[in-house]
Amino acid sequence: MKIGLIAFVMIWWATVSVAHQLLVFAFVEDGTVIVETKFSTGKIPVSGDVRVLDAQNAVLMTLELQSDGTVQFPLDPALSAQGLLIEVATGEGHDNYWILTPDDIARATKETQ
Amino acid sequence: MSQGRLTRRTLIRLTLAGASLPLSGHAFAQDDRPVIAVANYPLAYFAERLVGDLAEVLFPVPPGTDPSFWRPSIADISAMQAAQVIALNGAGFSDWTTKVSLPRARIIDTSAGFADAYIATETITHSHGEAGTHSHTGTASYTWLDFGLAARQADALAARLIRAMPQSEATISTNLLALNADLAALDAAAKALRAPLAAIASHPRYQYFGRAYGLQIAAMEWDAQEDVSEDQWQALEQKISESGATLFIWEATPSDDARARIATLGLTDVVFPPLALAPASGDFISEMTKSITMIAQSLDA
Repeated sequence: MKIGLIAFVMIWWATVSVAHQLLVFAFVEDGTVIVETKFSTGKIPVSGDVRVLDAQNAVLMTLELQSDGTVQFPLDPALSAQGLLIEVATGEGHDNYWILTPDDIARATKETQ
Repeated sequence: MSQGRLTRRTLIRLTLAGASLPLSGHAFAQDDRPVIAVANYPLAYFAERLVGDLAEVLFPVPPGTDPSFWRPSIADISAMQAAQVIALNGAGFSDWTTKVSLPRARIIDTSAGFADAYIATETITHSHGEAGTHSHTGTASYTWLDFGLAARQADALAARLIRAMPQSEATISTNLLALNADLAALDAAAKALRAPLAAIASHPRYQYFGRAYGLQIAAMEWDAQEDVSEDQWQALEQKISESGATLFIWEATPSDDARARIATLGLTDVVFPPLALAPASGDFISEMTKSITMIAQSLDA
């Protein structure tokens, strides 16, 4: 009985861990890049690493995800001229990314002017 | 931040992205032809058949990369954002579309018209090759392997291309007739297969083919380019006993050893590339014809 329960919990945990996905979204507002994350279940990740890369895949900075599942950083026009790739990895082994192209950034900058 | 913020903000931002044109405007090829961006080879082939030399077809996925799990670069997405038409397969085919902003006004989801005919699949997570871990989940996405559905995708693409290139309506309409005639011939050839038949595929790609043409196709989770482990062979033997399968379908050419081992299990095998990527030679019609002919010959043997 006990073994059966343990097996059930292990199977349930494995199922849960593969069935939800980390969702990443990033946008520019008032000169700030805002990164927001959540799991497809609606749950907010409370920790994780955020890597910001340029168009050549060079890491520009690494930030820690805040407890509300977001992180912000100032937009550097020089570094972001060719766009930004935002990668997020959470402690649960989930990762995903969002691409901000030069057009995305320019459009957002124009909207907030 | 509330949990609803992401959804609300995302919707607002994506709506804005969809409503506004890229600052660079529509893309044109270097020779001023419009650019049609596509998400897989079948759509690239359909687009090329439909527009001929009237437009440039942009299929940015590198050879050897599964377009379902392709990770685009910033430059790739910039190029797609600037295309005049962005043709997606739909049915969850392109994971990357959920990680970028695309101008909705220029997107055509070519399978949206038959969303009620999508095939649901189980969630299975695994890894192979350099692409890392991935999941087959939710919806089977190789819709074009039902050639009747492929024709509907071609119809949807043609209608969107005519909207974008109204001056070329007559040419696109004429080309659509020829393309649909070829797809109808494929459909007829596949319907002539000696079905019902139980088969096993090396990878879960053939759900629409099986449903359309009366084949019960179970699937392994094998990469045809990698060695098959003893555990995987045992799993196959189990599946053979469960399904009574007599045919094994490889999505790519395997090693000679693997084909020999399949033969020892009493299965006839064929290589049937689903053509999400362009074939090394030939085209969509010629290679599909070849695959169907091989299946027919294996059944008659």
